[in-house]
Amino acid sequence: MNIYVLSFLVFSPLLGILILAFVPKTRESVIKLVGFLATLPALIISLIIYFQYRAGTDLSEYAEHVGWIKFGNFEDPNLFTIDYELGLDGFSLVMIVLTAVLSALAAIASIHIKKEWKGYYMLFLLLEIGMLGVFAAENLILFFIFFEITLISTFFLVGKWGYFEKEKAAFSFLIYNGLGSAVLLIVIMVLFSRTGTSNIAELTELLSEDGRETLLPISESARFGLLAALLIAFGVKLPIFPLHSWMLRVHVEAPPPVVMLHSGILLKIGAFGLIRFGMGIFPEQFSKSAGLIAVLGIVNLLYGAFLAFVQKDFKMVLAYSSISHMGIVLIGLGALNEAGIQGAVFQVVSHGLISALLFFLVGVFYERVQTSFIPNLGGMAKGMPISSGFLLAGAMASLGLPGMSGFVSEFMAFLGLFEARPILAAVGAFSIIMTAVYLLRAVLGITFGRTERNYAGVMDLRAVEFVPVLALMGLIVLIGVYPAVLAEPLQTTLETILLGIGG
Amino acid sequence: MENAWIIPLFPLLSFVILLLFGRRLKEASAFVGILLTLASFVYSMLVLFERFSAPTFKTEAVWLSIGDIQLTSGFEVNQLNALMLFIVSLVSFLVHIYSKGYMSGDERFSVFYAYLGLFTFAMLGLVLSPNLLQTYIFWELVGVGSFLLIGFYFYKEEAKAAAKKAFIMTRIGDAGLFIGMILLFWQVGSFEYDEIFRAVDKGTISTGMITLTAILIFAGAAGKSGQFPLHTWLPDAMEGPTPVSALIHAATMVAAGVYLVAALFPLFTASDTALMTVALVGAFTAIFAASIGLVQTDIKRVLAYSTVSQLGYMMLALGSAGYAAGIFHLMTHAFFKALLFLAAGSVIHAVHTQDIEKMGGLWKKMRLTGPLFLIGTLAISGVPLFSGFFSKDEILIAAWAHGHTVLFWLAVVSAFFTSFYMFRLFFMVFSGEPRTDISKVHEPPSAMTLPMVVLGILAVVSGYVNTPWFGTFLGDWLTEGNEALGNGHMEGSAWIMLVATVVSLLGIFLAWLIYGKKTLSRDWLAGSSSMTYSILYNKYYIDEFYQLSFVKIAKGISNFLRIFEAFFVEGIVKGIAGAVQGLGKTGAKQQDGQVQTYGAVAFFGLAVLIVIFALTGGYLL
Repeated sequence: MNIYVLSFLVFSPLLGILILAFVPKTRESVIKLVGFLATLPALIISLIIYFQYRAGTDLSEYAEHVGWIKFGNFEDPNLFTIDYELGLDGFSLVMIVLTAVLSALAAIASIHIKKEWKGYYMLFLLLEIGMLGVFAAENLILFFIFFEITLISTFFLVGKWGYFEKEKAAFSFLIYNGLGSAVLLIVIMVLFSRTGTSNIAELTELLSEDGRETLLPISESARFGLLAALLIAFGVKLPIFPLHSWMLRVHVEAPPPVVMLHSGILLKIGAFGLIRFGMGIFPEQFSKSAGLIAVLGIVNLLYGAFLAFVQKDFKMVLAYSSISHMGIVLIGLGALNEAGIQGAVFQVVSHGLISALLFFLVGVFYERVQTSFIPNLGGMAKGMPISSGFLLAGAMASLGLPGMSGFVSEFMAFLGLFEARPILAAVGAFSIIMTAVYLLRAVLGITFGRTERNYAGVMDLRAVEFVPVLALMGLIVLIGVYPAVLAEPLQTTLETILLGIGG
Repeated sequence: MENAWIIPLFPLLSFVILLLFGRRLKEASAFVGILLTLASFVYSMLVLFERFSAPTFKTEAVWLSIGDIQLTSGFEVNQLNALMLFIVSLVSFLVHIYSKGYMSGDERFSVFYAYLGLFTFAMLGLVLSPNLLQTYIFWELVGVGSFLLIGFYFYKEEAKAAAKKAFIMTRIGDAGLFIGMILLFWQVGSFEYDEIFRAVDKGTISTGMITLTAILIFAGAAGKSGQFPLHTWLPDAMEGPTPVSALIHAATMVAAGVYLVAALFPLFTASDTALMTVALVGAFTAIFAASIGLVQTDIKRVLAYSTVSQLGYMMLALGSAGYAAGIFHLMTHAFFKALLFLAAGSVIHAVHTQDIEKMGGLWKKMRLTGPLFLIGTLAISGVPLFSGFFSKDEILIAAWAHGHTVLFWLAVVSAFFTSFYMFRLFFMVFSGEPRTDISKVHEPPSAMTLPMVVLGILAVVSGYVNTPWFGTFLGDWLTEGNEALGNGHMEGSAWIMLVATVVSLLGIFLAWLIYGKKTLSRDWLAGSSSMTYSILYNKYYIDEFYQLSFVKIAKGISNFLRIFEAFFVEGIVKGIAGAVQGLGKTGAKQQDGQVQTYGAVAFFGLAVLIVIFALTGGYLL
């Protein structure tokens, strides 16, 4: 009955692209409206699926399978085929809802875009297709194709609509991520050639069960090698220290709506990939490398926090803060227990919402005062009390204030790590203090204190700007107060993963 | 009691209403806040009375499940919680009324009331928590309420710095609490207080682990309650509006640390080391802060140091196994210290300065504030028949009975200091000749005086719920049905009471000689040992020390990493970019149109592949 619902969900932004193609490029408001409306079908469908799932519908009903490419094999015609397969489980559903929500809100945030709206929105919608596809793809090759779509569209969005050093940032983005995806492609090809399938579920089953023979055996050391390659490929995306410098530039130079999506979703593809493929396909090797991953997490956590402390540009503070917060994902995964992994997944969602909120507000402030340089700001709470209030609330969410989503994820990740590696966790807990230090320094530097220059006349939040702020804040508080909205859909997926690593 | 969960919701409702409609309500916001906290107070009183006869009530539901682990949330009304509900809602209610007068005319009037509502919600939620995790959640929210209110005058640089400092200093303690809480969880398998106590009782946790977790949790308590070495934020927190200082930084939130130790009392008593740590830190803080209080000249800062010192007393009581004594002092202190702050607010409201050097002779002008301030001063100094006398006496007895002789004498000396600096404050503000023009000074509106009168009465009578003469009702009730909490009252020799009385009167007498009658020179202390004076005046240079050590170290690490980032990490980037570029250029050079070269390269490549295949038998991996 639900045939092709998922395809429609993923490709619905295409509708907007088609309509936009026929809109004259000078009609600014029409373009913006169409661009926004085109994000809605995906949002509505994903929410319907979410609520149906909560009501008890089986997610396998949404699976789609169409034969696509056959390379042919004499022994078994099903081998070496690449099919068009979409499907959902709890985790990917959550990510799709997150993507749809953030895309709609980022489309609203795009009202600040000043030029060439038509091209902007077409690329924007293309990016959304890519992101939705990444999470819905059931096989590695399809995943890779969607992954590349996000790469290309982001490259142009950053390079054309960014700030002063946009080209440099865009190239830095492309080179790093290009190398990352090259490594990913190698992994995918090796797996495909060895097993004859690229279906994620089949691969997970084939490789996690020792007894079953794959087409061609993959030795233990080869598996470690593949896992390491995955770690690099997704480590660039997440990013893991020291592969992070490209993402700083993107955060600073890209237009705010793109950063919202970039920080909110694109970075999370790294986490998604690590969990889905790293942990799913190579569970044994992953658990043996857990110590390393936890250490990498702690390094990310503290490295990002300390560097965020001395940044002068608020965007840089947030960029380093993202690095630090992705450390929480890693320590959660490195803990290898339910609490840790659930914490990591929560952090993926929670940080997506929080960083989107913060970057949206950065955009709002930049729009008014043309700077995000902390020493030039100060006392903004006078002229913009509401924006400043939300900025502070966002910072509180980010530093893990209970009652907001950041706390739940941070708490669970640490709960997990304390069971597995208490001493490492105690070192990491130091970041709880540092996070408060750098965030308060930055946010109070902007909003509190004497009003620098004459910013008294600036306008506070406009009605349309309230939508993203309230929606994001609402979700952050909802997850913080009632985490079951997120925990319950994830349960089966997490159980499957844990079964794999034998935890 | 089954509906006690509704108590924190009233102030939360106030917060939400005022946040949404505050701008339109303007000064009418006060009524929303006052009415809703009144509802909380009435309900809390009902719960308290019900708890006198009914047993503890507790209910919980699953909040979050992580695999097999189920984290719950709910609420619990035991004796301690019921008493705290009463204290918190009462003081909050009175402060709500008082603020109507004090904050009148402020353009962010409704925001102030909204924040008060948020804080009250969190504080009431804190004292109802049945498990450690929920306590931690509200614990942090309380901190945010405090942070927002300290930074209420956000345009002042001092307020900004103070708010930031308060948040970060308490956060340092909270990191300890966070670690301790999680470590304890993996020992016990639950955050529930009951489960923790059961595990401690059964001895399933090693003593070392109990000590470690108890001390880590105590770090959190020390941060919140301004205990040494995390005390520095509390005096700075006086940048907030004075009603806030009364509510948060005197009566309720800063007592949360004491509450936490009390709530986990069986855990602490299971480890002598942990208990000793609490007692030591408490006693040291008591005398340390009192000594600083001797020379401060800002009316609110003197009171702030006295708060730190009195909180040290409470910790000393708990650390000496004097559970009831600690809670008792928490209660009396809440009343008389709130009174002192509100009276100080009334003075500041009238003379528009906080510098006691510029005050004087206000007794004649402030016929109501003066006597009320005197009541508070007498109570905190431990003068017989006032509430502070009874509770301080209990603490001294507990310390003596537990064998802490040295700490006992430290506490006695701090009691002497306390009565000295409090009466120094009193004489400098109210007696003598006015040092500035006070002709326009008048009593504040009744919205401000009324709460002070109520607190004044309580500052006198609240001690009588637990006296060696008329029965130790409070202590007996608090410890009823729980062996682990020890005796409600410890018998002490009469000489302890006598010593306490004598030192307190001595302190008053000395203060009178110097600042009242002026027989002794004011420079008596400062002049004879100016070195001591400047050390005390500069609060032992603790802030400077922190600035030079921890802040410098953190900045140093950050700056080192920044250089590391610029050279090493960026170096990798340049390397990769360079490699890509180099490869491209090299590749481009080969495209020179020489077909022979192309053919040779292709042949060579094929040869290499064949060799590899031959060697590995067709496998690349």
